[in-house]
Amino acid sequence: MVEYVARRLLQGAVVLFLVSLLTFFLINLAPGGPSSLVDFQTTAAEREARLRRFGLDRPVHERYVAWLAGAVRGDLGTSINQGLPVSKLLAQRIGPTLTLGLTALALAAVLGIALGLLAALHRDRWPDHVVSSISTLGMSVPNFWLGIVLIIVFAVNLGWLPASGSSSIGRGFSLADRLSHLALPASVLAFSLMPNVVRVTRAAVLEMLASDFVRTARAKGLREYVVMLKHTMRNALVPVVAMLGLIATVLFSGSVVIESVFGWAGIGRLAIEAANGRDYPVILGVTLLAGAMVVTVNLMVDLLYAVIDPRIRHD
Amino acid sequence: MVTISRYAARLALALALALTGAGITFAQEADTSAVLNLATNADPTLNPWTPGAVIESNLINTVLFDQLTRYSPEDLTPSPALAVSWTAEDEGMAWVFELRQGVQWSDGAPFTARDVAFTFNDVVLNAELGAQSASQFAPIERVEVVGDHTVRFVLNTPFSALPYYLASFAGIIPEHVLGNAENPLTVASFNKGIPVTTGPFMVEEFVPGSFVRLVPNPLHWAGQPQLAGLIFRIIPDPNTQVAQALAGQLDVVTRLSPNVIGGIEGSGRLEVLRQSQNLFFFVAPNHDDERFSDVRVKQALLLAIDRQAMIDALLDGFGEVSTGPVAPMLGALYNPDVRTYPYDPEAAGALLDEAGWALGADGVRAKDGERLVLAMPTGQFGDLVPATLLVQQYWEDIGVDADVRIMEWNAYIQEVVLNRDYEVTLAWWSMPPTADVAPYFSCAAAHTGNNIPNYCSSELDELMNAGRRALTLEEQIEAYAAMQEFLADELPYLYLWYPDILTAKNVALQGFPEITAATAFQHAVDWYVSR
Repeated sequence: MVEYVARRLLQGAVVLFLVSLLTFFLINLAPGGPSSLVDFQTTAAEREARLRRFGLDRPVHERYVAWLAGAVRGDLGTSINQGLPVSKLLAQRIGPTLTLGLTALALAAVLGIALGLLAALHRDRWPDHVVSSISTLGMSVPNFWLGIVLIIVFAVNLGWLPASGSSSIGRGFSLADRLSHLALPASVLAFSLMPNVVRVTRAAVLEMLASDFVRTARAKGLREYVVMLKHTMRNALVPVVAMLGLIATVLFSGSVVIESVFGWAGIGRLAIEAANGRDYPVILGVTLLAGAMVVTVNLMVDLLYAVIDPRIRHD
Repeated sequence: MVTISRYAARLALALALALTGAGITFAQEADTSAVLNLATNADPTLNPWTPGAVIESNLINTVLFDQLTRYSPEDLTPSPALAVSWTAEDEGMAWVFELRQGVQWSDGAPFTARDVAFTFNDVVLNAELGAQSASQFAPIERVEVVGDHTVRFVLNTPFSALPYYLASFAGIIPEHVLGNAENPLTVASFNKGIPVTTGPFMVEEFVPGSFVRLVPNPLHWAGQPQLAGLIFRIIPDPNTQVAQALAGQLDVVTRLSPNVIGGIEGSGRLEVLRQSQNLFFFVAPNHDDERFSDVRVKQALLLAIDRQAMIDALLDGFGEVSTGPVAPMLGALYNPDVRTYPYDPEAAGALLDEAGWALGADGVRAKDGERLVLAMPTGQFGDLVPATLLVQQYWEDIGVDADVRIMEWNAYIQEVVLNRDYEVTLAWWSMPPTADVAPYFSCAAAHTGNNIPNYCSSELDELMNAGRRALTLEEQIEAYAAMQEFLADELPYLYLWYPDILTAKNVALQGFPEITAATAFQHAVDWYVSR
């Protein structure tokens, strides 16, 4: 088990190295440069002075080696456009992204599993149709549109919830205040991701219900809730956890759209600002962080399989 | 009876105007506990000279960093700020500024001539740093400290517009804080933390990605502001900014898109200001291309564009057809009596015929076997792409084929603005409110500077220099009138329009100059919220 985890972590490190290599050379291939160095009004002389200042006049491979040497020591460099260490920027933004991501994940998991179960138990009857309509809506309505509509309804018209930000400014910490700021963005995120959970849960439960061991359990005269919880749900959970893992990697890397619409200071916004502004060190930092998230979540999902289904073993 | 009450009303109005004009507001009228909420689209950089400190930083830096001069809310002429008076010397080859006495930085240190000398000599004029908009100050050779409160700007060429340029995003930064930094433009604790400033408000808290909170600066030279604070909320999405304003969480939103005006005006809480700016949109012909050496080609291209229709379509009518780079808001310096190019596709066709570009069977004009195809790259920013596509259609009507290529904004700047790899391109310039447009038109700025069309004429250089030498307003009006005539005849750029700059503000916010956004923020000390 320990050996398995160590092997997976080592593989993860190799993946991250390859990701950094690819990202570094790709972003340097794209035309244009960091927006603080080449804005519209910059003259040729100003641009050259700035490129020299940031060492961007050196060849790409030389810069990559320098960056890598720093990265292995934990120094991800300094943002060109913001002037702050990349590690500090990531640290500032990861908290809000995780708060939003975990809330949305919990909402999507609870609602998605419940609705998926409901649909499976009432297959081809009206509850199934209602759930499938909700899922279709969640799949097809664009995030940014739903976000704006909810802001207009709940913040502008009704005045119940704040329109953006993660807390009221200058009022100190209050859980109610934080939750009221979380409500809209987390709901929109959960609503758009939930259909995946519903679909997988419904399919997995249906498959289990039709399986021999469920029929056997029922034939033994076990109570229905035991059949459902112990025999059906537990076995159906493996694909559901896999799906939640996929969703988690998306959420923990930050939702660009939701964070922008709701003024949420997370990783997603940092990523889009860095990409638009060609802030090379920040782009690399965010990409690596997202890569690390994927590696970690995948590992955790695999370990969780063994807990859910003892037949799965990691040796 | 009627006469008397009318007289009384006029008297009251005159009295009220006199009082507010003198900067006095009744104590019971202003809500001194009010905190104003403003929006900016990204994390600001709290140093006006740091490369990349642009639209997200300009207005907050204007509130934080006082400048030597600021625009007068009446007519945008430079008026006293950190400097109280200024005079030109040596036939315009030097300017002497007397600085305000008793000004303190927000940490209590005295503001002196050394801060001004540091800002210019060590930062703006230090070519190795590549400071933001340093090229605008190219005529300055150095700044000399004459006394504790006197500085002398020594020039390498006359620069009569210097007091105007010093009012344009040219905040003074503290020598005692930044003087020892290896690079004074990249000190993170200053730019992204709590900078030391001279403005009426100072930073109390900066939460990256969320907001910057300002409180009144108790040491400010013009006295305490009448507000309890300002909060700049960082909201990247313009739709969310508008929604927040409608929800009552924002009091000022700048740079509004015309299509949201209706909703804002209907809210009752907010009003929309139609502000101006010395800003023009243009199509730049690349003069390295031989085809533009014939001015008739450029005139034809401009005549073929229905600019009013474009203003109506793209800006919902919030703009004005431009006659040149100098906007009408400059008052006496604006010359309306220049050659104009009203929409006339037939006249455009005739001019091209005359220039030898005959209509071919394929609908595209040609001369000596060469078809009139113009490479027209454009960048994804604001309305540039739709505007470019409209111009393309107008030109197609007169047999000119614009080969439009849409590029990502950064790539566009690299290829078009820096490398000048284009034949025609549509963009805009935003300039200080002066007729001194040399950074955008002079031979010295062609190919490397802000003269994007690479236009070079010694005659124009001489006309612009005459303006730079002219020290009285009368002389400037005369010199710049001639310059504007030349610019309209020769068309270094094809001028499109002056857009209105739309700002929404809370109706309760008073003392907010309406003339330009920069002016309003330079006078933040006068803002108050009526009860």
